[in-house]
Amino acid sequence: MALGDIPRLGCGRSIDRIWATIDQPPTAHEQQCEQCQTARARLSGLNEATRSLRESDLRNPSLKAHPGVTNAIMDIARAEIRRSKRIRLHSTVNGTTEISEQALSSIIRFAATAVPGIHSRRCRIEVRSTADNLSATDNLSATDNLSATDNPSENTGTTASTGPHLIVNLRVAAATGIDIPRTVDALRHQIRNAIPAGVGITAGTINITVEDLYDV
Amino acid sequence: MDDHGRGFDPDLDEGSIVARAQDGDLAAFEHLVVTYQDRLFRLAYRMLNDRGEAEDTVQESLIASWRGLPMLADVNAFDGWLYRLATNKCLDVLRKRSSHAENITDPDNVCSLTEAGAIRAPAGSDPAHEAEWSAQQAGLILVLNTLPPVQRACWLLREMHGLTYADIGATLKISPAGVRGMLARARHQITEGMSQWR
Repeated sequence: MALGDIPRLGCGRSIDRIWATIDQPPTAHEQQCEQCQTARARLSGLNEATRSLRESDLRNPSLKAHPGVTNAIMDIARAEIRRSKRIRLHSTVNGTTEISEQALSSIIRFAATAVPGIHSRRCRIEVRSTADNLSATDNLSATDNLSATDNPSENTGTTASTGPHLIVNLRVAAATGIDIPRTVDALRHQIRNAIPAGVGITAGTINITVEDLYDV
Repeated sequence: MDDHGRGFDPDLDEGSIVARAQDGDLAAFEHLVVTYQDRLFRLAYRMLNDRGEAEDTVQESLIASWRGLPMLADVNAFDGWLYRLATNKCLDVLRKRSSHAENITDPDNVCSLTEAGAIRAPAGSDPAHEAEWSAQQAGLILVLNTLPPVQRACWLLREMHGLTYADIGATLKISPAGVRGMLARARHQITEGMSQWR
């Protein structure tokens, strides 16, 4: 937008320029120019009124949303809760066992709270079926405690020997100044332990992306 | 909410809270609602001068944010985006009001228009009345309500809410330089108005 759009005084000074320097002593021109003096006095009055309105609005208890507004918003959010996808943990002749991505993410995020300097963010979990990636799963099954499948009873009978291969994609923010490789290794370790402890399957691949840094 | 909010820590950086709300974490979203509802109410009230409409605006903007969150590309842009949703809702309400006034010409609506075509807050309708002991503040509010809605939004977003020129520009669909010009004109008009009012 052209500078001509900014109002100017008769002496040619722009209102904008006077406003920008309102907290500084008047210039030699401003000391002599009557128009500038009037404008400065008015703008400084506006400056004061603005600050005082801002502060009193902040303090004013009647300028707050009704407490019921939070509940009304949350009721709608709850009713419209996004259904996350489901991850198949287990498949038997009697049926399948699935877990929501959200529930699994919550275990992962909780595990991440044990690592200082990490704020977990979005979490996406995919699963590769064992049939597709048997060899990959075998390589990663050192901590797999489902491999001993010696319970062929009708109701809980299991066919999978290693479970699905989970691929966790977790994005995090890291505190500025931390040792990122070491911290991320510690985070991966926490998650690798928390998933079997929480849901009884192997963690698989854990990809961690540090997408942001936060100040501490 | 414990099922989704497990591990939620209100001391998280806002970007992380927004990211979790994007994943459907209700505790994270509620934290954002509580953080922003009063700020948005102050904006909406100063735009609309009507408590009920201001509360509706707060509610609608925050619900729109819940629905739109998964599409937000940059978690650090949440505040500017939310203010944009709320400001545009306020401008919509004012547009509807003015087309209503033109089409129906209800004398009750028209009587609040001054000769200059400015909308004045009816006396005594301001819930902040008690606190507005300062004549300067009262004058500022009165003159503020005579500004065109977009200019008023621009001034409020900058002076009352501290938004950047870039965020205000994105909200009002003008360039940052355009925002600077609009603010200068708003200040000029307000100082002129306040000097007449005194």
